[in-house]
Amino acid sequence: MGPPRRPLAWTVAVALLCVVLLFPLYWMFVTAVLPTSQVLSREPTLLPALSDISFRAFASAFARKPLATWLTNSLLVTVGATALSLVIAALAGYSLSRFRTRAQELTGLTLLLTKMLPGSLIVIPFFIMATTFHLIDSLWALMLANAAVGVPFATWLLKGFFDGIPRDLEHAAMIDGCGHMTAFLYIIIPLARPGIAACAIYLAILSWSEFVFAKTLINDQARWTITTGMVSFIGEHGIDWSALMAAGIISMVPMIVLFLLLEPFLVSGMTAGSQR
Amino acid sequence: MASRSAVPSPGRGSLARRERIFAYALLAPAVAAVFALIAYPMYLIFSMSFREGKSLNFLALHTRPFGLGNYEAVLTDSATWHSVWVSFAYTFGTILPAFLLGLGTAVVLNRSFPLRRWLRSLVLLPWAVPGVMVSIVFLWLFDASFGVTNYFLRSLGLISTDISWYTNESTALIAVIVPTLWKGYPFFTLTLLAAMQSIPGNLYEAAEVDGASAWQRFTNITWPGIRGQATLALVLNGLWVFREFDIIYAATGGGPSKTTETLGIRAYNEAFGYFYMGRAAVIGVLMLAIALVAVLLARKQLRKEFF
Repeated sequence: MGPPRRPLAWTVAVALLCVVLLFPLYWMFVTAVLPTSQVLSREPTLLPALSDISFRAFASAFARKPLATWLTNSLLVTVGATALSLVIAALAGYSLSRFRTRAQELTGLTLLLTKMLPGSLIVIPFFIMATTFHLIDSLWALMLANAAVGVPFATWLLKGFFDGIPRDLEHAAMIDGCGHMTAFLYIIIPLARPGIAACAIYLAILSWSEFVFAKTLINDQARWTITTGMVSFIGEHGIDWSALMAAGIISMVPMIVLFLLLEPFLVSGMTAGSQR
Repeated sequence: MASRSAVPSPGRGSLARRERIFAYALLAPAVAAVFALIAYPMYLIFSMSFREGKSLNFLALHTRPFGLGNYEAVLTDSATWHSVWVSFAYTFGTILPAFLLGLGTAVVLNRSFPLRRWLRSLVLLPWAVPGVMVSIVFLWLFDASFGVTNYFLRSLGLISTDISWYTNESTALIAVIVPTLWKGYPFFTLTLLAAMQSIPGNLYEAAEVDGASAWQRFTNITWPGIRGQATLALVLNGLWVFREFDIIYAATGGGPSKTTETLGIRAYNEAFGYFYMGRAAVIGVLMLAIALVAVLLARKQLRKEFF
């Protein structure tokens, strides 16, 4: 649809809508930067004075909890799982895009099945498998679990991107004496870079947010991820809301930055299936 | 497929075979991942659902007596059917308002105006917030004494005493629905906006010339154009909410008095709270059965998208 009659007024209206929709995030920030006396108030100030703002809660969040350790663990798991499922999905997505095999007919069904399987259910067999292989409390187990969950959707997404690249390109290279794998690595992969980037960011957001596997497969506090760590704040007597919100902001910033980069791909590229 | 014949080669037959081997070799790691993720876990869940009794040693489960005891115990337990009801109330209570919010935001964003790309990102932002963080933020917003929600309601004169949203049995379900709705609406915005953008613009121009009102344009052009995608999005988002675990678990763990204990939470508590792995597996089978019914009901839309 084209522009509305008064485009600027439309912008203002949508901006106001965003203010309402994103109020929870705004309130998180306000809570993190205000002193406790104002946070624990029956009459909270919706627009705090600039002079009241302090970033002490961020420092105290790091001092009170091993946030740095949890963030590092989350980073390791996220990078490992994303890289692993991306490689697996790129190979499979290419195969499904270029060759008609039995597996091609099963991909839709597989994707649909993963959308029906609850995380709190598959964690039971994952827990049993991790116990069998002595992988409880190992970040490797978490990495593998997250990678496995990411593969079906990433494959489906990348297949779509490969479908958009003309076959003639690798055929030309193969006529020139290139092997099929070489053609794939040096011609197709560089062309699919935007799709691969979008897919990587999507996978990273999923791994970073993952909670049920991290909670069940890891007991050792030194190996917790940021999500398990954040939840451990809740049970405490007299929650320090400023520190909790500050920790929450720190844990979310990487994903929000990634999301703002990914968003154009989301709208242009995919319609169904973007929700795990 | 034409791809093979396009490469000229004297040994056609052997090339075709090499290509097929290549195709399957590329697929092999993904097949292994899917086997580890779906096939083997599903097999374990089904086989566990027939192993009776509780066990602290998960590896010894296969030595437990075999029978239908778990199915009998779970399906005759009124708490199970309570959880079914909670799951449905939670799912529909979330996706219906989330759909309306997503539809509204999609309609608003389906115009071209300055800063559109950034405002669209902001509208979709809650999708990227981890479930447990959503839960934590809303625990604070809904805090009984210092939460801003009660402050607003007090200021508007709607309540005289504070509501303890998460510990009150009649409000706990609402207090977990609201954060789920907040995290879930961007999916509707995203899919409905994509569907709206595939509607040809000249339809709207023609309607404008004919003097159609905004509402008429919506009911006669936009809605028929997105109906299929809307059904699909409702089913997929419904499946997501039905499986949702993080938000409820972090906020209430299923309480107070099981008022927010969905099937997913119940399965987890049976397994890792009481060590009744078999019963947890039966609840899982029940969840899969319900999801399967939803998928079968929507099979026409799903077939278009997935097959």
